[in-house]
Amino acid sequence: MEPGVSIESGSAIRVAVLPVGGPIPPACLRDYAALVARHARVDLASLRPYYSEHQKSPFAHQPWDTGCLRLKFVLGGCMPSPWEDFQSARKVLAVVGICHLPSSPDLDRVAADFVDAARSYPSALANRCFAFCPTDAQLVEKKRDDIIMFPPSDQQSWELHMLTMIQDLSASLLMEFEKWVLRAESTGTILKTPLDSQSSLGSEEVIKAKKRRLGRAQKIIGDYCLLAGSPADANAHYATAIELARLTGDVFWHAGALEGSVCALVVDRMGESDPVLEDEVKFRYYTIIQLYRRATLQDNAQRVSPVSFELEAALKLARYLCRRQCAKEVSDLLMGAADGAKALIDASDRLILYIEIARLFGTLGYKRKAAFFSRQVAQLYLQQDNAYAAMSARQVLTTTTTAYHVQSRKTSKMDHGLLKSVVSLFESQWSTLQMVVLREILMSSIRAADPLSSWSAAARLLRSFYPLITPAGQSGLASSLANSADRLPSGTRCADPCLPFIRLHSFPLHPSQREIVKRSPHKKEWWTGGGPSGPFIYTPFTKGGTSGTSKQEVNWIVGEPVQVMVELANPCSFDLVVESIYLSVHSGNFDAFPVSVNLPPNTSKLVLLSGIPTQVGQVSIPGCIVHCFGVITEHLFKEVDFLLLGAAQGLVLSDPFRCCGSSKFKSVNFPSISVVPPLPLLVANVVGGDGSILLYEGEIRDVLITLTNAGTVPVEEANVALSGKNQDSVISIAHSTWKSALPIKPGGEVTFAVTLRAWHLSPTDLEADGSRSPANSRRIAREGSNPFLDIHYAGPSRNSESDNISLPPGRRLVVPLNICVVQGMRLVRARLLSMELPARFTDAHLRSASSKDNTSNDSDAMHNDISLLKIDPYKGSWDLRLLELELFNPTDVVFDVDVSVHLDGTSVELPEDKTASSACHKTRIDRDYSARVLIPLEHFKLPVLDTSFFVKENGSDEPLGSRAATLAEKNAKAELNASIKNLISKIKVKWHSGRNSSGELNIKDAIQAALQASIMDILLPDPLTFSFRHAKDGIAAKTDSSKEPGDDSSHSASESVLRCKDPISANEMTHMEVQIRNNTKETIQMNLSISCKDVAGENCFDENSATVLWAGVLSDIYLEVQPLQEVVHPFSIYFLVPGDYSLQAASVIIDATDVLRARAKAESPDEPILCRGSPFHIHVVGTA
Amino acid sequence: MASMACFVIMSKNDIPIYEAEVGSAPKREDQAYQHQFILHAALDVVQDLAWATNTMFLKSVDRFDDLVVSVYVTAGHTRFMLLHDSRSEDGIKSFFQEVHELYIKIFLNPLYLPGSRITSSHFDTKVRALARKYL
Repeated sequence: MEPGVSIESGSAIRVAVLPVGGPIPPACLRDYAALVARHARVDLASLRPYYSEHQKSPFAHQPWDTGCLRLKFVLGGCMPSPWEDFQSARKVLAVVGICHLPSSPDLDRVAADFVDAARSYPSALANRCFAFCPTDAQLVEKKRDDIIMFPPSDQQSWELHMLTMIQDLSASLLMEFEKWVLRAESTGTILKTPLDSQSSLGSEEVIKAKKRRLGRAQKIIGDYCLLAGSPADANAHYATAIELARLTGDVFWHAGALEGSVCALVVDRMGESDPVLEDEVKFRYYTIIQLYRRATLQDNAQRVSPVSFELEAALKLARYLCRRQCAKEVSDLLMGAADGAKALIDASDRLILYIEIARLFGTLGYKRKAAFFSRQVAQLYLQQDNAYAAMSARQVLTTTTTAYHVQSRKTSKMDHGLLKSVVSLFESQWSTLQMVVLREILMSSIRAADPLSSWSAAARLLRSFYPLITPAGQSGLASSLANSADRLPSGTRCADPCLPFIRLHSFPLHPSQREIVKRSPHKKEWWTGGGPSGPFIYTPFTKGGTSGTSKQEVNWIVGEPVQVMVELANPCSFDLVVESIYLSVHSGNFDAFPVSVNLPPNTSKLVLLSGIPTQVGQVSIPGCIVHCFGVITEHLFKEVDFLLLGAAQGLVLSDPFRCCGSSKFKSVNFPSISVVPPLPLLVANVVGGDGSILLYEGEIRDVLITLTNAGTVPVEEANVALSGKNQDSVISIAHSTWKSALPIKPGGEVTFAVTLRAWHLSPTDLEADGSRSPANSRRIAREGSNPFLDIHYAGPSRNSESDNISLPPGRRLVVPLNICVVQGMRLVRARLLSMELPARFTDAHLRSASSKDNTSNDSDAMHNDISLLKIDPYKGSWDLRLLELELFNPTDVVFDVDVSVHLDGTSVELPEDKTASSACHKTRIDRDYSARVLIPLEHFKLPVLDTSFFVKENGSDEPLGSRAATLAEKNAKAELNASIKNLISKIKVKWHSGRNSSGELNIKDAIQAALQASIMDILLPDPLTFSFRHAKDGIAAKTDSSKEPGDDSSHSASESVLRCKDPISANEMTHMEVQIRNNTKETIQMNLSISCKDVAGENCFDENSATVLWAGVLSDIYLEVQPLQEVVHPFSIYFLVPGDYSLQAASVIIDATDVLRARAKAESPDEPILCRGSPFHIHVVGTA
Repeated sequence: MASMACFVIMSKNDIPIYEAEVGSAPKREDQAYQHQFILHAALDVVQDLAWATNTMFLKSVDRFDDLVVSVYVTAGHTRFMLLHDSRSEDGIKSFFQEVHELYIKIFLNPLYLPGSRITSSHFDTKVRALARKYL
């Protein structure tokens, strides 16, 4: 069988093109062959100059004006076919030698070579030897007839020269054909086919053969007529031949003649598509096929089978009909031909048959059929055991890859912008077939020693079908990749990516330190209002649709490194070493930095790829360049995205990332990136290390922050603000320091201080800390609880040529103040302690009270003596109030605690303060120890029970009864809270630890809690205050009592009690008076009674007692006290026995108001309200 | 029963969603591939033929090496393709019709995504039983 046969091929003159002489460079050979082969059709009209009619031409109907000769050049020649006599078109009728003269200097030798070569084609009627590019020496040699020189010249003149030569050759062929036909007509020739030679020549056979000879001769003459370009003559001869063959029963030749006649018919009507003609051709060819089949059946016993002629006929008809409209017929014909493949004995015949079938199916548009037969061809090639066959197999298989959707990216001509729709990407995913095809390509390329193509096949196989390949197979593919890479020069690129799978994970738009803020020229404070305002992440008023539809914009800055996070996955079972991976940038304004990654089996890894933009403009990053398995490949993000999308829809085998344990697929939009000119770049540095600042609770410390301009543009303006949580922990920022440093030149730096105070840890924090391991429990900085310094800065504004100023964007630098607050001194408990000491008429008191003039001096002295004792001016007793703070030091350092009380918020330190601080001098608390610190409280009572709020209550809400009381209490509490707060703010507990840690203990809450508990008892004054005085006479008492109650100063405290001028002696009448003060804003009616007790607690005013005598009323004294007024009730006592006595006044309030009831915590409304004063100690001197 | 047959259901996107080697002949790996290749190649013929007729059963549409491809096209253009060497057209037709019913049952499953692989083992068992019955 012969490749490329068609109905018309019977009219083509076969010309062997042979290279002769020295070796010809392949490129030259190709050029020369192409120069020759372009003249496949030579018009008869152009032959006139070279044609001379020696005898009368046998081709009577030769169309000299329209006809042509067809030449079929066979480069390298071909084996002479045993069927040459049957079809003259199979004969090599001319030989053309091609010689490259620079490599073969000896012309004689070339000529001899050519003669030798031509000798193997005895059927050749004309020979020519073309010699190209002769040297000057060869040109000047004697002109030879047997070699035609083509001197070096331009292409056009060569072509002209060649045309002339081919025309000359054609003309001589035509003349030879004429001679041959004339001779054949006259003498007759013996024509045999391999079929005949085998038959034993009996006498009967000889007679038969003689009869047949005539018909066969006619058929051959017809063939020559066809070759000579005269279909009309050929047709006449064929008609005769058909008649004769039918008569003689020469089936085979009958078919041949019929085939010739169809060829003549088609050639004659070349270029016409006539349905009648088509039907005729079809009809005749089916007859031909039938005849050939009959011939085959007849000669079945023979060694040589003419079945190939039947198949060729089928192929010829198929090629003739090969159109979409006749698809059914053609495919039937081709399938019939394919069935005949088994009858073919020669493997190469089968190869040709399959090739032809594949070609025809391809022409028909049946890609899958074509691929199927191509694969059959490849398998036949692979059965031959040589590299060339393997190479052919690989090439044939490569043509099938499109049909099986496993094509290399190189051949599929993928352009990044125009990807097919997602559905079509996954069409025809017949993985079994794809794997088989790829494996065969891999095998054939390995056998053909084509490392790049085997690498590519293995890469495609591994990348697309890793889930279907066993681990051993995967390793095998990996090793074949490595083996192929070993044979490739280093730095080889391959269009098909292998592993790993790479997807864009995230696009760190800007590290928070580098944020770019757009500046508008109209706004002075451009940094405000840029970001989302308010507490909501989403506001409906922001520009809609920006995030959803259009891509986000990213600005990169020339010269500043940027990063892109990609995720690599190795779903295979071997260690994958990615020698280098970097971003692939097609825009050319980006320097990417390679990274090398090692991926263990079945893992995925996040890798940060970085680079530096080099020029202003757009940057597009379609994927990554990966150097893996010794070959450089480009991995596109989009492909993996489609793969993952397909995996999500169940169209693709497996998601490589999910099987590596990575998270679910989320599509990352690639933002459009533009590179902008350089901007200033501030880098912040916390002096003392970038780690978190370790602070004990309440510690105050200055932190130095250094700002360095790492950019190439000076910073001209800046603004420092606070954001984030715990902003109040930043006490001050040294704004003036950095302001004075502006502008910061490139490379310049400024250091400024920020004063921090550690906040108080909340109980949950403490709990969380407790649950951690004890070693580092207190050292963990809490995420998100830190304040940030927001530094907005910008470079100089450029003045463009026109008036409008183009402002380059500003930037934002966020400096997190990583404050790690650790638990410091801890307040375990705060308690308010109250001590009531009965007032004493001691010597000291009496002495100090003796003269009114030096009261203040004396009181000072007294304070110096008993510093902390205070007389409660309202109770008339000594009252010591202490705030006890129990502190615990859970840390591992020593704390020194220093308590101070600032009174009245004044800057002047009161003497009490001094004494207090000296008293609580530097309490040192060791680690894991606790200590109690006592803080004296003074002036810590409300002046009257009826301050403004009480007045209000009494005025308006009295009728409302108990509700008023609760309201009153509420209000009282509010007032109290205010005063407590006031007090608390005065108490400061400072601590020091080590050399540079110092701070304040936050005890507000604790104190408040402590005070709240005993608030009523301690803070509210009693409604009535009782005090006893030693009165010489009633007048003195009167003046005292008339004193304005409002000006109760600290001095009145001492005055009110210390009245006794002289010591009280026994056996002497002592005039005394009890002073009752109404602390409320309303008149109180009461029954007063006074009692006196001796040391044994016996009532001395008892009738039976003989120790004390008295004058005046002492019980059931009805008194009425005006609001905020005092009443004095005089009486006299006569002590019979010296010793210690105590006086106490008590009164039952008549018609008590709700306020009083509330104060007394009365449970029922009709309960009597009793008021009792503090006991007064009286020391009576004298002798018994 | 046919000595060897290969049954494949192709989705309308030309993706095989079910494959079964049915037949009494011992299985050979390379032949299984060859069968699938033949079926794949037959798709070209089916593509033309399916629109030229209004019957679902296209009979034998293609052949290679004594193996015949019979095709049944559902209304949704899902193709049942059977590669076989027996010639009992009636049996094949019945086989296809019964498989079509099974396929519709699969299709009615709300959890089945049309066009995805049929992984139901029940379906597989039933198809193989039908193959034993009719082929």
